[in-house]
Amino acid sequence: MTGGSTRRRGIAFLVAVVAVAAAPWLLGTGYWRGILVLCAMNVLLALSLNLVMGYTGQLNLGQSAFFGIGAYVSTILIKTYGWNFWLAAGAAVAAAGLVGVALAAFAVRLRGHYLAIASLGFAVITYQVLVNWESVTQGVRGIYGILPPVADTVALFYLVAGLGIVVYFLLDNLVRSPVGDTLRAIREDEVSAAALGVHAAVWKAFAFGLGAAIAGLAGCFYPGFVGTLVPDAFGIVESFTMMAMVIVGGMGTMIGPVIGAVVLTFLPEVLRGFGELRLMIYGVALTLVVLFMPGGIVQAWVSLKNRIA
Amino acid sequence: MTDFLTLIVQQSVNGVYLGCLYVMVALGLTLIYGVLNQINFAHADFVTVGAFTAFFTATRFATKALGMPDTGAYLLSLFAALGAGALLGWLVSVAVFAPLRRSGADELRPLIATIGVSVLLENGQLALFGPIPYQFDSPLARQTIRVGSIFFSAQSALVVVVSVAAIAALYAFMRFTFMGKALRAVAQDRETAGLMGINESLVIALTIVIASALAGVAGALLGPVVVLTPFTGASLIVKAFACVIIGGFGNMEGTIIAGLLVGIIEAFTVQYLGSGLIDLVVFAMLLLMLVIRPTGLIAERKEENV
Amino acid sequence: MKRAFIAIILAIGAFPFVALAQDKVIRVGVLMPISGPGSYFGVMGKEGIDLALEQVAKSNLNGYRLQVQYEDSACSPLQATNTVKRVLDQLKPHIVIGEECSDASLAIAPILEQAKVVQLNAGSVTMKLTESGYKYVFRIFPNAEQQSAPLVKVAREKLKAQTAVILYEKTNAGNDNAEGFEKPFVAAGGKVLAKIDFGRDVNDFTAIATRIASLGKVDVLPTFALEGQQVRLSQALAQAKVVKGGGGPGVQMGSIWLPWGYDHKAGQASVGYVRIVQFDPNEKRKVVQDFVKAFQAKYGADKTPTHINAHAFDAILLVAEAVRRGAKDSETIRDQFTKFKDVEVTTGKISFDKKGQNSDLSVVHFVETQPDLSWKGMSWQ
Repeated sequence: MTGGSTRRRGIAFLVAVVAVAAAPWLLGTGYWRGILVLCAMNVLLALSLNLVMGYTGQLNLGQSAFFGIGAYVSTILIKTYGWNFWLAAGAAVAAAGLVGVALAAFAVRLRGHYLAIASLGFAVITYQVLVNWESVTQGVRGIYGILPPVADTVALFYLVAGLGIVVYFLLDNLVRSPVGDTLRAIREDEVSAAALGVHAAVWKAFAFGLGAAIAGLAGCFYPGFVGTLVPDAFGIVESFTMMAMVIVGGMGTMIGPVIGAVVLTFLPEVLRGFGELRLMIYGVALTLVVLFMPGGIVQAWVSLKNRIA
Repeated sequence: MTDFLTLIVQQSVNGVYLGCLYVMVALGLTLIYGVLNQINFAHADFVTVGAFTAFFTATRFATKALGMPDTGAYLLSLFAALGAGALLGWLVSVAVFAPLRRSGADELRPLIATIGVSVLLENGQLALFGPIPYQFDSPLARQTIRVGSIFFSAQSALVVVVSVAAIAALYAFMRFTFMGKALRAVAQDRETAGLMGINESLVIALTIVIASALAGVAGALLGPVVVLTPFTGASLIVKAFACVIIGGFGNMEGTIIAGLLVGIIEAFTVQYLGSGLIDLVVFAMLLLMLVIRPTGLIAERKEENV
Repeated sequence: MKRAFIAIILAIGAFPFVALAQDKVIRVGVLMPISGPGSYFGVMGKEGIDLALEQVAKSNLNGYRLQVQYEDSACSPLQATNTVKRVLDQLKPHIVIGEECSDASLAIAPILEQAKVVQLNAGSVTMKLTESGYKYVFRIFPNAEQQSAPLVKVAREKLKAQTAVILYEKTNAGNDNAEGFEKPFVAAGGKVLAKIDFGRDVNDFTAIATRIASLGKVDVLPTFALEGQQVRLSQALAQAKVVKGGGGPGVQMGSIWLPWGYDHKAGQASVGYVRIVQFDPNEKRKVVQDFVKAFQAKYGADKTPTHINAHAFDAILLVAEAVRRGAKDSETIRDQFTKFKDVEVTTGKISFDKKGQNSDLSVVHFVETQPDLSWKGMSWQ
């Protein structure tokens, strides 16, 4: 690793910290601060999916399930068993991660679309379990009056965004390490990677599990933020939304999913003034970005910069 | 017949009819996947567009403007829906799939781009038609046919007949026409097909048009039996995906069998387990399927070429 | 670009001050599902509110006028909490009308409670909303128990029902209503043969009807679902010869949330359907007939207002009435609401109990669908 790149990453870290610190004061109302919290959660989700999809090349449509597992496990431990938030969050993250590893172990033989479908099937089943296991999850009746770990919205944002920064830099280091090379090797050509002695199955399970754990972490903050927990928040549509964030931002880059998450969180809110047209504009924008920015916003930005320079 | 036997036969009839509806929705998805290895997420919204086209053709245009009798008007509306589906397919082929293919897209970008199309279509129809369910009464839906103690509506008989006819027409097209053969060639091996002088772009566009026309017809068949709102398609997409997968991606025979199977499973789940568990049972079966046969119900033909 | 951005931020920040600068305004936030499947409620709710605002603007409200901001809360707790914060920031409302769905209504209640802003609910039936001790929640819609108790009474005493199959959508509202029926029905000696729930995305009811036909003789089938699914359900039940509309013995029973127009959509399958009705466009009271006339003048002579239109319309009338009686902010609106006694609107004569629930059910009645698809009132009390 060169000294220049270390310094550049140090600067990037500082910029990220300053941006996060300033955001709640630039957007200084309760509503926009709430959207910021949501945005920070979406950044975590997009980062988690990008690890699996972007770096390991495993098409995963089940991320909404891990998000849901994180939310429900933490909430049930707190509300029913009286656990402390952080203990419950730790357990929820572990639960999501373990389920992720289990799914990967199951899906090891599957590639491409079959993995996508296994994960989609898993997401549908998880959603149905949340709906039908009423004695534990309350089903569609929902769980109400859930408190966030910190009462103040700004503090909650700092907490989630701070975790986002930590996760970002941990993942950034991971993908630069030999582990990252291994994951990319699996993405590019699993057969050749295996010929070089890579245990593809183990590393896929690792990526799946880590991605699931991060999504579970995001899930721990969702119930307290909304105050209400119903299974509908974790339908398969959520998985597609996360995927859109990754693709729109730029899959397989670190910063891309972050940008994608910010853009797709704020876009529907900024468009509220358009009333009925809001979601139509959103749909068109999504299609156009994918059509005209093949590598997402990140690549479009880079090529724009190159053209100017 | 004993009561028990009657019940089994009746639920099987219900299941087959429901399965035919699913097959009609899933066939187009499978066709596109078989040729392009891509998924059109907006496919189910094409079904909704087909349903509304049929509704307005049957209840407004044909009966009011042309003065046609009810049944004739409804049958005409099937063709209108087919046309609407084909037109939409052509549009999305030209505006989305072709440019993405030129820029060398993988399988993900078309998926996300068509999610955008789906959001647009759903909300566009919401703005046009509103959210209040339309009452699309085909004259056939009101007639009940009773054979002994078994019953089904004339509409469900029509659903089965049209599904079979559509599948037969599709097979005849694939087997006996040049374009059909070209389509199969592209599906099996794109490069060789190109070398053989087959115009790949044309074949791909045609595939999307045919698949979307099928979606349109499916809409016209569904309209009189489901709750017709701009969200009708969205309520079907997950199950259509299940059919495509259980059948083995891109495999037509597999999708047909899977569709019927899902329909029948749904009917018996309602009878013996509870209607709230339909998705759970279908997708548990899907995962089981993947364990036993990771390539789907019927082994992919592609493997023969490897 | 950057300057434009700052300008937008300033504009958003300054908005409340602009609003505060104008005197004599009652600010009303309206949260309605305008997108997604829940827009079924939102679109009709908005029609009722728009019409009421036109009428109220012509009357004298002690010199006050109503200022309304709509937001699309999409029947979702997340969207509802986001939009309620948006309304609180931008409009600084004295009262918020909404939501239509139970989950979303429950999600915004604690936020409005904390902000000390009145929530006037005109669409949710879940018991929890008024049973959670919120001081600022008021509801004009009859809750699940208020609807189910009379249904049981009619089923047992009028229809002499011994057996029931309960059909309900898998939502908060469906659950509460189903439970509200089951308990008193069983307590009164009835037998529930099956409780059948289904998601809002279920499209085909033939298999469900077949199952019910296999359960033996069913006397009543209380059904708690939306219009679209109700129509298909009734048709399937008729086809399976379970209900009277198909020549069977069973009577389907419906809740207040089944709107006007169902019978004509379901056709012959709906004959013999017994339902509890609150808003009845045929009712002779002047306020109802004036509302129907005004509604048709605004939205077309071929449209008949539904209870969803009516409840939303009433919500604005109640706000206006509170202002007329001297309310000028959130606290005084709340005070006036608690003092309401028999305030006449299209859905009855509103009196709120201590929990904020409208306790008046004087116009609630039962009707039976006739062979010509008209309604015939039933004497039951």
